[in-house]
Amino acid sequence: MTELLQTLIFGALIGGVYALMATGLTLTFGVMKIVNMTQGALLVLSAYLCYSLWVHFGIDPILGAFLITAPMGLLGVALYKLVIERVQRIDHGLTIVATFALAMIAEGLIALAWGPNTRATTPPYFNRSFRIGSLVVPQAQLYACLLAIGVTVVLQLVIKRSWLGYAITAASENPEGARLVGVEPVRVGAWIFAISVASTAFGGAALSFLFQFVPDSQDVWIGLTLSVVILGGLGSLAGAFAAGLLLGVAEAMTTTYVSVRWATAVPTLMILIVLTIRPQGLFTRATRQDLAT
Amino acid sequence: MRVTILRRTLVVAALAVLIAYPIVSNDLYYQNLLILTFMLAIGASGWNIMGGYAGYISLGNSVFIGLGAYTTGILAAKHGVSPFLGCLVGGLVCAIAAALLSLVTRRTRGMYFVIVTFAVLQLLALVTTTWSSLTGGSPGLALPLPTWSLDYQNWPFYYPLLGLLVLTVAVSALVRRSKLGLGLFAIQDDEDKATGLGLRTAVYKMIAFVLGGTFIGIAGGIYAYYVTFLNTGAVFDIVASVLMVLAALLGGRGTVWGPVVGAFILEPLANFTSTGIGGANSGAIRLLIFGGLLLAVVLFLPRGVLPTATSLWQRAMARRSRPSPDEGAGPAQRSSASISVSPRGSDVDGGGRVLEVHDVVKTFGGLHAVDGVDLAVERGSITGLIGPNGSGKTTLFNLIDGTVAARSGHIALGGKRIDRSGRATRAHAGLARTYQLPRLFPSLTVIENIVLPERRLSFTRLWRKRVTSPERQRAIAVLESLGLANFADTSPADLSYGQRKLVELAQALWLDPALIMLDEPAAGISPALSQRLADLIRSLHSQGVGILLVEHDLAFLSSLCQHVYVMANGKIIANGSVAEVSADRAVVDAYLGDDVALAPAEVHA
Repeated sequence: MTELLQTLIFGALIGGVYALMATGLTLTFGVMKIVNMTQGALLVLSAYLCYSLWVHFGIDPILGAFLITAPMGLLGVALYKLVIERVQRIDHGLTIVATFALAMIAEGLIALAWGPNTRATTPPYFNRSFRIGSLVVPQAQLYACLLAIGVTVVLQLVIKRSWLGYAITAASENPEGARLVGVEPVRVGAWIFAISVASTAFGGAALSFLFQFVPDSQDVWIGLTLSVVILGGLGSLAGAFAAGLLLGVAEAMTTTYVSVRWATAVPTLMILIVLTIRPQGLFTRATRQDLAT
Repeated sequence: MRVTILRRTLVVAALAVLIAYPIVSNDLYYQNLLILTFMLAIGASGWNIMGGYAGYISLGNSVFIGLGAYTTGILAAKHGVSPFLGCLVGGLVCAIAAALLSLVTRRTRGMYFVIVTFAVLQLLALVTTTWSSLTGGSPGLALPLPTWSLDYQNWPFYYPLLGLLVLTVAVSALVRRSKLGLGLFAIQDDEDKATGLGLRTAVYKMIAFVLGGTFIGIAGGIYAYYVTFLNTGAVFDIVASVLMVLAALLGGRGTVWGPVVGAFILEPLANFTSTGIGGANSGAIRLLIFGGLLLAVVLFLPRGVLPTATSLWQRAMARRSRPSPDEGAGPAQRSSASISVSPRGSDVDGGGRVLEVHDVVKTFGGLHAVDGVDLAVERGSITGLIGPNGSGKTTLFNLIDGTVAARSGHIALGGKRIDRSGRATRAHAGLARTYQLPRLFPSLTVIENIVLPERRLSFTRLWRKRVTSPERQRAIAVLESLGLANFADTSPADLSYGQRKLVELAQALWLDPALIMLDEPAAGISPALSQRLADLIRSLHSQGVGILLVEHDLAFLSSLCQHVYVMANGKIIANGSVAEVSADRAVVDAYLGDDVALAPAEVHA
């Protein structure tokens, strides 16, 4: 019983972090129908930036995340303006190929900048735990999960309450109509990418003290974030959060009761199962699709 | 024509050089380079059948190299199976894997396929590493060394791979020329519409993916013997997958030779970077080069080298002759337009209802788009459906043809329930439709558009020519009666809006439908074309085709329809002759917007 409870705690905490790592992808996928394959590389880049701040200036990675959000946001705008928006005009179907190419480039640049060695940040809490009776709550996981909840709530408020959120929703549902009332979809697209990539900074910070990373870790993380988004359904932040939790718990259960070696297969297996059986995701209802055509 | 001759000469010359090369030279470096190039060319051509023709991009095609290689390797290392047999078994395993993977595309489109293929690659790499009792795990799997004499050098790899490449390209060319290829390009353009024309798109995609996967799998098996040592990282390699995509895009996606040309450009470059760049950073630099190249191709050369070069060449050599686009109607060969149709089921029984819709409901969230509609079309009659914009007419069409599923209710065609059937099945049962805005397939010519519809799935038919000569004769006759014979071999983009509507109608009629649904056929077209359209509808009527017609033009309607239904707010509020319904108080209110919500209660009394 304790073992099960402990597994659930580990799973839920890490699941929240998975959702956090996927928020950027959730946004671009949900709002713009763009699968941004650079998500993994952006996470790893953020982790390296946090690592450098930690090693050279002793800045805590969570604080570091706040410092790098602005530059990451700018990077998002550049990504959109220089590549994505152009490729969309040529052939929307190729955006996924183009972003994959960018991910390769990013991995190469990261490897040149930081070298091939394994890195991780080690803030004081990275290997400490709280104890509740016989249960263990690792501090790092807990803080990362709280960060995840915070970021999700703030983004949810931005989308549901602010003018920008209305504009984003409008432009995603009906670009022509949005243009008629003065909401320029291209500008909204730049904003979405700014927010999406900026939020990735937090996921990267969590990555930096929860996992070890090398430049080609991005392969693993793009796979994982994709499965969060697909499980959650078409880009709803709440759905992604639920999906993250489910994935985290499923992974933790596999680790405890099957084998740690098979735990990494859980996300990819989930992608296959969900897309075969319930492609709209686990946490959404089918909506009207014929308007788009 | 000149491009064809040039291409043939080049291909024959290149093939002769490749066949002669190992005989005249024993330079192992270049033999190795060519072997790897053949591998990539097979990979890219195989990828192209699904990715280039059908537009389903896979980022995981090296899965097939891995599966083929490991199947062959395991069979050889553990069971002593001959490599020649092992490769074929590897191909078979890949065929099965591809068939299973293509099941995912039954319900999802485009980007999901990319994600799935990517995920499968990761998953299989993980499985082969973890399942070490079978695969040797992360240390790898050593194959028994070939038993043939070393004097043969690389010939036992070189010639089988060259042969396989020729076979792959030949099959790819055959597919492209066949009805299978026609369907795949239609899927790329507008899969939804293709299904509505009776194409079992899932079968098309499965065949395409299986063909490509099988060839790559066999190549993987040969490759396993060539390298004699397998490990997961080397065969389930995302970079190898990306190289296949890159080669196909670079050479020209959707063309027969593009992927081959791309491979011959790319592999020497790849080989140079892996041998020419050393040191700790070589991996990173390779990523930069190939990532950069892929991005550059997508951004600056999206059509690829071969199509770009071909069109430049053609422009330089000669101006293509094109019919001058006649504005409006164009000369009609016959006095009134008519297309001969043999509506299905008409010989079974003369009377009765061809379409019956009973109590059909469709909701979108809280909106009742179609709210308990009853409607019937008598066999061989022209029935009208009118109503203000947003009253649910198009949604009703979508429910009848299966584009969207009804929440409840019955729909029967010729007495058989169809509301649980797929779209292709409904088309096979004799249902056809046109769209408010015509949706022709831009990658196909006008005549290919017309003959695309499929009355039933037949595997022998899939391998026939895109347009067989009887089909061509019949389609030309149809185009002549529409005054469009000159446009048979042009792109639908060269047609005017009204002409496209006529072609779409001819396309739908190719199904020999028992019932055709026309969504605002006369909207936005010239009076001359509209007249021709009315003639055409009358001639269909006289041949026994049931017609359900959505139209706002009441004069047009009253000249054609015996019976009219009026829809408002998702409900049928009146029916009868045009004169009757236009006198109906509720109908007038619905159009003028007066207390619509109150009106329906009074109508049926």
